[in-house]
Amino acid sequence: MARLLSFIDARPQFASPKSALLVENNDSLLIFLRTSLKHEGYAVRTAANREEGLRVYRDFAPFNVVLIDYYVPPSNGAKIDHWALPQTSGTALAKDIREMNPSQKMIIAAFDYQNAGQVPRPPELMHIPLLIDSTNFQLHRLLEKIEVERAIEALTPSDLLRLQKSADYRVQSLGRAARGRTGEDLLSEAQLRTLMGAGATREGRHWNKHVDFVWHLTGAMRSISSCWKRQFKDMEPYLISEFPIHDAEGHEHSPLDNVASGDAAADQLLIEKDEEDRVLTIFKDDTEATQVLQGWLDGLTKDEIMSKYGLKKQYVAVVKRILKLLGRGNGGSRG
Amino acid sequence: MKNMADKKNHDERLERLMNRLAESVLGLSDEAILAETSEAGADPQREAERTRLVLRQASKVLDNVNKHLSDLGHTVNSNDWYRGHSGYHNTCATCGSFVSFTTATGEMRGEALDGLCPESDQYTIRRREASR
Repeated sequence: MARLLSFIDARPQFASPKSALLVENNDSLLIFLRTSLKHEGYAVRTAANREEGLRVYRDFAPFNVVLIDYYVPPSNGAKIDHWALPQTSGTALAKDIREMNPSQKMIIAAFDYQNAGQVPRPPELMHIPLLIDSTNFQLHRLLEKIEVERAIEALTPSDLLRLQKSADYRVQSLGRAARGRTGEDLLSEAQLRTLMGAGATREGRHWNKHVDFVWHLTGAMRSISSCWKRQFKDMEPYLISEFPIHDAEGHEHSPLDNVASGDAAADQLLIEKDEEDRVLTIFKDDTEATQVLQGWLDGLTKDEIMSKYGLKKQYVAVVKRILKLLGRGNGGSRG
Repeated sequence: MKNMADKKNHDERLERLMNRLAESVLGLSDEAILAETSEAGADPQREAERTRLVLRQASKVLDNVNKHLSDLGHTVNSNDWYRGHSGYHNTCATCGSFVSFTTATGEMRGEALDGLCPESDQYTIRRREASR
């Protein structure tokens, strides 16, 4: 646990103030959007037109997010004709910023439209999310998504490897209930639910920013894999080979033994038992590792294992040895 | 019956073991996890970027679904996605047509994809009431 805590403490946190550039010339919308951004924890700089927006961007970039109104005028005092300009200075500014910094996260506010499909945009700006709904909810969701994407980019190679290996083991724990899913599927599902949770949806999993993102994803994977297991138990019919028959002498037979197909008797318990044996065999010469593994198999806690087998400081080293050897045994395979 | 109980026991033991490994791997130091990956014969940097791609791809799946529906004029409330056995499901808030997508492949299905939302006014632009 100490190792886990130090790992979390050492990671860059998102406590540093987030910054936003808001380009809006409508006073009431400016107040509304600035307040909303501040409420989301952003330090906000504002500009009222394309020219000023560009200047502020050059002076203070990068920002965590740039929010541009679709209809901002090109410069101070210029008027916008809504009907004559299918591409406005808002999109022109977005293009300028994109040229300067292709990875700059932006949102274009297009409150005059009913849905994103109606908003004329050049092809290179099609990936920029649009704010159509003038309520806090959509803005909140878009900002959350940007935060999640930022967190993904901030993950270090070791974070990513830990996540992948944890996902792989979690899927292996499911046995048949994995139904062909891999660790990548589990990770992908965890990410998807995080994005859905950005709007506090009923199917999503909200990321509390005070929690490390790796920690959040591993928590999501834990609950998703439990859910898959439950669904499997509820829904999946058992294979006939899972119902062995015993004769009077206690010998095991499959219900398929007497079927005309002549198929060999289905093996019993092999998948699970073989896997358990395989793992224990790897450590047959390592008494401490075998003790820890036995403890895990028996559902003992770390303290119980340490107390039962007299392991103290060795426990952490033993766990490392187990992970190292198992990782090598798996050959970096997925799922 | 004995064998079924044994099997359940084995299932649970293996599940416990793998779950403990899933938790323990999080406690490995940076050096240890990188070394472990290298020793397994894989390139840590490449493996890590592959995992990052998995995460990015999941975002892209959701973006594609939302964009596709929006381009067709459907209004899908992002709050209303619900999870089924074959993926996520939703309905257009305007016309009520159904749509679903699978998380693994991003494949979309449903009548909402058949064409433009019949209830959506594609060419009407609401003028902003606020003065400019």
